[in-house]
Amino acid sequence: MKDICHREHRVHRECSRAAGSSGFLCDLCALCGLWFVLSFVPAQATDTLHLYNWNNYISDATVARFEVECNCRVVQDYYSDNEEMLAKLAAGASGYDLIVPTGNAMESLIRQRALRPLDKSLLPKLGSIEPAYMNTVFDPGNRYSVPYAYTLTLIGYNDAKMRELQLPVDSWAVIFEPHYLEKLKGRVTVLDSQRELLAAALKYLGYSANDTNEEHWKQARDLIIRAKPYWAAFNASSYIKELTVGNIWLVLGYSNDIFQADLDAQKAQRGFRILASIPKEGAVLALDSMVLHKSGPRPDLAHRFIDFMLDGRNSSELTNLIGSGNPNRAARQYIQPEIAQSPAVFPDKAQQVRLEMLRDLDRHQRRVLSRIWTEIKLK
Amino acid sequence: MSGPPFVFLLLFFVAPSVIMVLASFRYPGEFGGLAPLFADTQTLHGLTVETYEFFFSDIIYGYVFLKSIFVALATTLICLLLAYPLALLIARSPKKSRDLMVLLVVLPFASNFLVRVYAWMIILGPQAAFSQAVNGVLALFGMEPVHLLFSPFAVLVGMVYVHLPFMVLPLYTNLEKHDPALLDAAQDLGANVWHRFWRVTFPLSLPGIFSGSALVFIPVLGMFAIPDILGGTGDMLIGNLIKEQFLGTRDWPFGSTLSIMLTVTVLLIVWLTTRLAGRGRHYA
Amino acid sequence: MRRGPWLWAAALAVYAFLYLPLAIVVVYSFNDSRLNAEWVGFTLHWYDVLIHDEEMLLAAGNSLFIAFVSAFVATLLGTMAGMAIHRYDLKLLNFMALTPVAMPEILLGVSLLLFFIQVLNLTLGMLSIVLAHITFSIGFVAVIVRARLAGMDDSLFEAARDLGASPWETFRYVTFPLILPAVIAGGLMAFTLSIDDFVITFFTAGVGVQTLPLRIYSMIKIAVTPEVNAVSTLLMLLTLSMIVLASRFAPDVLKGKT
Repeated sequence: MKDICHREHRVHRECSRAAGSSGFLCDLCALCGLWFVLSFVPAQATDTLHLYNWNNYISDATVARFEVECNCRVVQDYYSDNEEMLAKLAAGASGYDLIVPTGNAMESLIRQRALRPLDKSLLPKLGSIEPAYMNTVFDPGNRYSVPYAYTLTLIGYNDAKMRELQLPVDSWAVIFEPHYLEKLKGRVTVLDSQRELLAAALKYLGYSANDTNEEHWKQARDLIIRAKPYWAAFNASSYIKELTVGNIWLVLGYSNDIFQADLDAQKAQRGFRILASIPKEGAVLALDSMVLHKSGPRPDLAHRFIDFMLDGRNSSELTNLIGSGNPNRAARQYIQPEIAQSPAVFPDKAQQVRLEMLRDLDRHQRRVLSRIWTEIKLK
Repeated sequence: MSGPPFVFLLLFFVAPSVIMVLASFRYPGEFGGLAPLFADTQTLHGLTVETYEFFFSDIIYGYVFLKSIFVALATTLICLLLAYPLALLIARSPKKSRDLMVLLVVLPFASNFLVRVYAWMIILGPQAAFSQAVNGVLALFGMEPVHLLFSPFAVLVGMVYVHLPFMVLPLYTNLEKHDPALLDAAQDLGANVWHRFWRVTFPLSLPGIFSGSALVFIPVLGMFAIPDILGGTGDMLIGNLIKEQFLGTRDWPFGSTLSIMLTVTVLLIVWLTTRLAGRGRHYA
Repeated sequence: MRRGPWLWAAALAVYAFLYLPLAIVVVYSFNDSRLNAEWVGFTLHWYDVLIHDEEMLLAAGNSLFIAFVSAFVATLLGTMAGMAIHRYDLKLLNFMALTPVAMPEILLGVSLLLFFIQVLNLTLGMLSIVLAHITFSIGFVAVIVRARLAGMDDSLFEAARDLGASPWETFRYVTFPLILPAVIAGGLMAFTLSIDDFVITFFTAGVGVQTLPLRIYSMIKIAVTPEVNAVSTLLMLLTLSMIVLASRFAPDVLKGKT
């Protein structure tokens, strides 16, 4: 390439201007053709529900049943992080009837006036949602949102290994304190999420997960930097497999991922269990709700979908599939007993008090957090 | 004839670049994107140099740039060390086999970039034979086992692997033109193999080295996907930081500022290399 | 002497370095195990999974469509650019065509993202990807076409004109047939670049449209199964045949002269 760039060229004499202009015509025709073709690409079948949801956050069976019931098609796109979803919406993604954001992301969407208010007359089964999960600070009076499912961010561990090493699993100390981590070097992963990791560190330091005091953030940063040499990686989701295989013994992860890892380990007859525990300092609860995006062309289908998901049996399928928390009281009777009894899926009253939901950050806080994250990654 | 491509590139290359410069002087929008330029409300709007102040107020960003430059330099050097013998061998092979040998260098290119990175995820994974062999050897010396995947080492290997052909091709193109008579002359004058290489071949190949180095160095400097896939807890380069501003933190003005700083760095380095290359030719 | 055993050994080691990883990807696509760790047994299971993976097929369809359209337009524009740069020595156009290729990809990606959203107010999707791909492909086509023109004798065109051919006729019957191989090679290159591109697509794709590389990326990041190996193997075969085809038309493409 370089050679060509540097190669000298003699100017060719004024050849064929006519050729030039007819080339331009050709080009114009081709471009017109291109626009023509492209304008047909987004055309869709008429009855289609566009769902923008978390990766692996609905059972295929549920979708298939809804498609039969409403005689429509469900088209899904996925995200693996709230920030990713917000950034993509900010970058102009549109056409979604239904989105399933976590509380803080929903708050941001509401403040942006990006959501359509619900028509509750179309949602007769709304009463089956447990009151504890209604009327949150993010959406007082549930004008826009219906709770879908929740996950906790907590400690997941290889039961056999942690017993063998005699390490406590009831405190964030095991993730952050070097004297515990020494026995676990290279066997620990934490979530690759600025908010979640910071929240866990803040909780361990005795602050609120939503503390925005920069001094406290710096203390959390130092705690993380001190623990980092012992961690194997910042990881978004492949820790599920690593836990199953037995490479990783301890994670800061999502309750449903840890459930998945345990399921896989049992299926593969690994001879150890992957368990979860809510640290005594408290943890983050992420409540994901169904909301209607303004850009969605089919609010009618979206309401039908919400109503469909309020049905106990439909709602329970997700919990049985991925072990997510279920805010729907009507779903309880369909949930497998082992999941229903797990405190990491259904925390009792005492534990619920220690759980916090994350609030949204403003632009200044986002920039400061990003810098702290850069420092964490570099040091 | 030059009209359509000119207009197209004006629209989709020049204009976006100008927009990016402008964006770096804006405030971030409350929910992402850019804050409005004009607004009658209390919200932040208008133009500002705050992103530049933020950039220069903290040593950390300079450190990210230095680290990226270091990784790019290391990649370039390793690529050069690996590519030189290969390019030399091809250039000194009989004409008939040269095309085939070059083809063999280019062919791995036929696989997708991500596939080539993914291959190293398999090789460096903890259960893979390679990792176990390395740790077996380390154990013999009584050393702790190491994790190869998700480490700076993995990032470097990935970078070298993906960019190696960029180094081989310009080097070969240069070495192929060398007149063997020069080496004969040097031999007749009593120079041994070593001398003949350092005094004749190497200086003559400097232009090839410089173009190959530029072709490796520049893309590595902005790379985000390889640290993203193969990196561990500390592998953040400029590319990752820029990506995060646009697709995570929703801070487009700061992302634009970082992109402009990257552009400036690239231009500086190209300018330096061209000057050095000029001298190299002189020397040769 | 000049090609001593050490040189051979070093070169062979580098060849092995280039090929072993790819061989492993291919071999493991036939491995009867979810984990890419040890060899368990031969299976075509992952190819079966692949051809029933609707999302993957959709992504492949998108990739092919984008590659066809962007290669077509880029070939047209790139050929014009190559000819114009050759004839009139247009330094500026040359710079504009080559810089998007020479700069780190992420820069073109984010500046196009900004431009599409802030200025054009365009919803990211098929159209934005196609436009982005055309932008970086023009330079490659232009370089190949220009190299071909540079290698030809200008007196050919003069002779045509002296014999009374109009400028259009000169183009139609002399220039075009002569540069045709380069045009085809450029088109095939543009096609390959488009179907392989990850970085720029990553920034300009929005959420609705998946391409094959985007799909592979999310599989690598989220849940790796040997299905990734299977799709990689097939993609390798496709681009391989494209490059070999391109080299038929313009052997220089593979000689590092472009």
